[in-house]
Amino acid sequence: MLFHNYKYALKILFKNKMLIFWTFAFPLILGTLFQMAFSDIEKEEKLQTIPIAIVKLSSDQNSMVPEIFEHLKNGEESMFDISYQDEKGAKELLEDKKIDGYLILSEPLKLVVKENGINQTVLKFVTEEILETEEIMKNVVMLEMNKADTLDEQFYQSIYMKIEKWKQENQIELNNISNQNLSYTMIEFYTLIAMTCLYGGILGLYLVNQNLANQSANGKRISVSPTQKGKVIITSALAGYTAQLIGIALLFFYTICFLKIDYGENILFIILLTLVGCFAGLSLGIMIASVFKTNENTKTGIVIAFTMLCCFLSGMMGITMKYIVDKNIPILNRINPASMITDGFYSLYYYDTFGRYFFNVISLLIFSIFMLALSIKSLRRQTYDSI
Amino acid sequence: MKNIIEVKNLTKEYKNLKAIDDLSFEVHEGEILGLLGPNGSGKSTTINCILSLLKFEKGTIQIFGRPMAPNAYDTKREIGVVFQDVAVFEELTVEENIDYFCGLYVNDKSLRKQYVTDAIELVGLNEFKKFYPKQLSGGLLRRLNIACGIAHKPKLIFLDEPTVAVDPQSRNNILDGIEQLREKGATIIYTTHYMEEVEILCDRVIILDKGKVIASGSPEELKELANMEEKVSVEIETITEKQLEEIKKLKNVDEVHYHNQNLIVIYKKGKNNLITLIDYLGKERVLYDKIYSERPTLNDVFLELTGKELRD
Amino acid sequence: MTVFKTYLKILNKNKFLVILYTVILVFFAAFNIENNDNGTNFVAEKPDILIVNQDEDNDITSHFIQYIEKNSTVKKVKETEEAHNDALFYRDVNYIIYIPKNFGNDFLEGKNPKLEIKSTGDYQASLAEILVNRYWNVANIYRNVTEEEEQLLTLINTTLEKDTIVEVTSKLDTESFSKATMFYNFANYSILAGCVFIICFMISSFQEKKVKSRIMVSSMEYRKFNRQLLLSNGLFAFALWLCYVILSIVLVGNVMLTSRGLFLILNSFIFTCSALTLALLIGNLVHNKEAMNGIVNVIALGSSFLCGAFVPTQFLPDFVLKIAHILPSYYYIYNNELIASLEHIDLENLQPIFINMGMLLLFAFIFIVITNIVTKRKNR
Repeated sequence: MLFHNYKYALKILFKNKMLIFWTFAFPLILGTLFQMAFSDIEKEEKLQTIPIAIVKLSSDQNSMVPEIFEHLKNGEESMFDISYQDEKGAKELLEDKKIDGYLILSEPLKLVVKENGINQTVLKFVTEEILETEEIMKNVVMLEMNKADTLDEQFYQSIYMKIEKWKQENQIELNNISNQNLSYTMIEFYTLIAMTCLYGGILGLYLVNQNLANQSANGKRISVSPTQKGKVIITSALAGYTAQLIGIALLFFYTICFLKIDYGENILFIILLTLVGCFAGLSLGIMIASVFKTNENTKTGIVIAFTMLCCFLSGMMGITMKYIVDKNIPILNRINPASMITDGFYSLYYYDTFGRYFFNVISLLIFSIFMLALSIKSLRRQTYDSI
Repeated sequence: MKNIIEVKNLTKEYKNLKAIDDLSFEVHEGEILGLLGPNGSGKSTTINCILSLLKFEKGTIQIFGRPMAPNAYDTKREIGVVFQDVAVFEELTVEENIDYFCGLYVNDKSLRKQYVTDAIELVGLNEFKKFYPKQLSGGLLRRLNIACGIAHKPKLIFLDEPTVAVDPQSRNNILDGIEQLREKGATIIYTTHYMEEVEILCDRVIILDKGKVIASGSPEELKELANMEEKVSVEIETITEKQLEEIKKLKNVDEVHYHNQNLIVIYKKGKNNLITLIDYLGKERVLYDKIYSERPTLNDVFLELTGKELRD
Repeated sequence: MTVFKTYLKILNKNKFLVILYTVILVFFAAFNIENNDNGTNFVAEKPDILIVNQDEDNDITSHFIQYIEKNSTVKKVKETEEAHNDALFYRDVNYIIYIPKNFGNDFLEGKNPKLEIKSTGDYQASLAEILVNRYWNVANIYRNVTEEEEQLLTLINTTLEKDTIVEVTSKLDTESFSKATMFYNFANYSILAGCVFIICFMISSFQEKKVKSRIMVSSMEYRKFNRQLLLSNGLFAFALWLCYVILSIVLVGNVMLTSRGLFLILNSFIFTCSALTLALLIGNLVHNKEAMNGIVNVIALGSSFLCGAFVPTQFLPDFVLKIAHILPSYYYIYNNELIASLEHIDLENLQPIFINMGMLLLFAFIFIVITNIVTKRKNR
C-alpha cells in the first residue's frame, strides 16, 4: 500500500503541469533573468576610464598637470581619457555628457562638472593631489631652506628628487585581508534556492490536501477506506519531498553549469542545507493544507504570497533588504525560513567557520517542527464536526 | 433476515440546526434501500455519520453487527462508497484512478488488476480507459466516480445521488450496474431525490424530511399512504356546472376540477372507476378527446406527507 | 451596466486575491523606495568606511581618523568581527580600516607599521583607498623633514586642506527626484503583475465556456457586451493607476507635482494603457487561470528585469538592453530616466520622450489588432 500510494502521488505531481511549472520551471526562468540583469553590476562597479577635457588658457603656460593626468593608471588602463579643448568646446562636451568634467588650467586650478558622482569625485581627488604635491614642495623647500647654502636650480631639483624618493620608500603598506568571496549578487541566487525550497511546499500541499476528508472529495474516499490515514499522508508527503528534491537538483545543476553560481566548497553542507530547506517548505505546505479551510487555489496563493514575502525580506528584490532587516529587526529574519536558507548559503560562501551555518540549519528544523506541530491535530483527526 | 446496518437514535446537530433528529433504521442483507428526501433533508449527513466521517451527538451505529469507528478497518474493507461529488484525480487516467482507489483496499496486484477490469466493464468505460477525467462528459465522469467506489467488490455499498445531472444513457447504464451489483450479493444504500429510480430499483424506501423518518416501506406500501388511488384527466370542450356536480356524486370520487378544458377527477380508492366515468360522459353526450389515468407516485406520497414537492 | 455590476461582483468574490496582490505590490514599492538610499547602486561621493581602532590615544592616529571622518561617512556597526564582515558583504561599508596597537607611535618612530584593510573592491572602496593612501603619503613625506609631532600635524593639515574649486553646472535636484523615478520604475512591475493578472482573471471568468455561451445566446449584443467588459477593465486599470499615483505623491512628496513629476505620471498613464491592451490580449489568448498566472508572472518579472525596473539600466549588459527593445517596459523606463534628467522643458528635450510615448501607444495598437484577430478567429 505504501509504495502504491507513493507511486501514484508522484505520478499525480508530474502530470500536473501547473505544479511543475511553478516549482520546476519558474525558478529556472527567474535564475536566468537574475543572471541577465546582474551579470554586469559588479563589473560596472569597478572604476572605468573617465573621459575628461583639459582647457589650456594661454599657450605659453607650461603646467605639469596634463602630463600627470596622462600618466595616471588604474591597473593596466589609463585612468583618464583626455581631450584638449577650448572652454566653449569643453562646455558643449559636458552638456552632451561626452565627458564627466573639465579642468581649467587657471591659477588656481578650476574643475567644472555637471553633477555629483563617483567619476567626478575621482577627478576632484586627483586634482587635489596635484595641488598637494605643490604644497608639499613648497613646505619642504621652506623647511630645508635653512640647511641649504644656495637656492639654485640644483637645490630645487634635489628637493624634488628627495620627495620622489620618500614617496617611493617607507610607504605605509595596506594589507588587504578581505575575503575573496565578496560577490553579493550570489545572495540573489541563494534567495532563489530558498524560494524554490519553500515553493516546493505546494507539492506537499497539493497531495496532503487530497488526503484530508474535510478538504477534498478524494480525502473522503481515503477516510472511508481501510487504509490508515497517517500512512497515506506520510507517503504523500514523502512523494512531495521527492519531487521537491528533483526540482532543486535541477536548479542546482542549471545554476552551477550554466549560470556559474558559486555555492562554496563544502558540498555535503550544501546538500544538508538543501534537504533541510526543502523539509521546511514541505512542512509549511502541510501546515497550510491542513489548518486552513479554503479551496486549493487560495492555499497555493497563500504559500506563494508567504514565500514571496519571505524572499523579499531575505533580499530577493534588493540585496540590501536582508542586511537592513538583519541589522534593525533581526527577529524577523530569525523566524523567516527563506532568510535562514539564504543566510545558510551565505555563511557557507563567505565564512570559514560553521557556527552560523549550523545555527541556520537548526533554526530551519525548529521552523519545520513548529509547522508540523501546528498541523498534527488536524492531520490526526478522523471524524469531523462538518464536512 | 440479517441486519447489515443498525442505526439507533442517531442525532446530529450543526450549530443551531438539527440535521438528524433521533433517527433509527436498519438495512437488511441483500436489499437496495432507498433514502429519499428533498435537498437538505439529511441524507448525506446520515451516510457520513454511518461512515464515521462526521461526529454525532447521540446514537449508535453498527455495521455487520460490529460498532462502526474510524479505525474499524475490517469493517471499512467491506464497504464501498460513491460520494455525491465526483472524487477523482485530474492527473490520472480512468484506469489509473480506479487502480489507485482500489489499491487502498486491495494489496494483491494481480487481483487488483482483475478488479479494475471488472469495474470498468461494469460501468461501461472500456473505450475510455486511457482518457483523463477532463476529457469525459458529465455522465461518463459519474460512471468513473462509481467505478472508483466499488472496484474492490464491497459487500455494502453507499451510493449518494450517483445520477445527479446525468444523461439518460449514462443513467440507464448506472442503474443497470447497480442491479448487477445487487445480483452479486451486495447490499446497497441509495440516496436520491428521483422517485422514478427508487420505484424501479429499491426494495425498501425510507423517506426523510428534516432529519426524521417520515415513512418507510416498499414502494408499493408507501403508495398506499397516498390519500388517493387514481387521477383521471379528460379533455372536454364544454361541460355544464350541473354535470360537474353529478360527476362528483359518482362512486369513489373525491375531487373534481375543471380548468382550461381539462377535467380532473380524483378517486380515493376502488376499481373500474374509469369505466363509470366514461359511461356517464357517454350517457350525457359530452364530447371528450383524450383520457389519461394516473396511479399515485412517491412524489404524491411525499406531497401528502409533508406538503412539499420532493424536487425543488 | 449589467456587465459592470457582474464585474464588480466577481471582483468582490475574488477580493482576497486582488487585495493580496495590491498589498504586496504597494508594500514592496513603498519599502524599496524608503530603503534604497543605502542600496547597492546608489552613487555617493563619500565612501562608507568602518574604522576599527586598537591604537591608544595617539595624536596622529586620531588626526587620521578625523581626516577620514571629514571625507567619508564613517559607519558604526556592532563590535563583532561577524557584524563587520556582514556589513562589508552587503556594502553597508565599502572599506574597513584596522588600526593596530601602537600604530601611531610606530609610525612616528620611523617604522613602517602595516594597516590591515578590507575592501569591497568597487568604486567607493577605491575612493576610500585613495583617501587612506593620500594621508599616509603626505605624512610619510613630512616625517622625513620634521620630528616634532605638532609641526608634522600642522603640515599635514595645511597640505590636505588644499581644495580644488569645483563648479557644478547642473541645477537639477537629482536626489529627491531619483526616488520618484525609482518608484515609477518599480511601478512597471506592479502595473504589469497586478493590473494584467487581475484583468486577465476577470476576462477568463467572463470567457468561461458556459458563461460565454450564455452571453452569446442572451439578448445582449455580443459587441455591446465586449464593449462593456472593455470599459469595466479600463476603469479598473484606471483605478489602480490612480492608486499608484496617489501613493507616489504620499511617498515622494511635492516633487511629483512639478512639471517633471507630472510627466512621470503621464508616462505611467500611457504605460498603463498599453498594459491594459496586453492584458486583453493575454486574457483572450489564454483561458486557463492557472496557466495565466504563470504567463503573467513571467512577463512581468521578465520585462522588469530586462528593462531595468529593478536594476538601473546603466548596469544592464548591452545584449540585454538590445533584447529589451521588443518590450513596452523598455520605452516606459527609458522615458522615466529621460524625464529624470530633463533640465529645461523645451521642444527639443521633449522630443525623445514623446517618441517613446508614441512607441508605447504603438504597442497598445498592435496588441489591440492581435486581440481582434484572435477573438474573431475564436468566435467562428
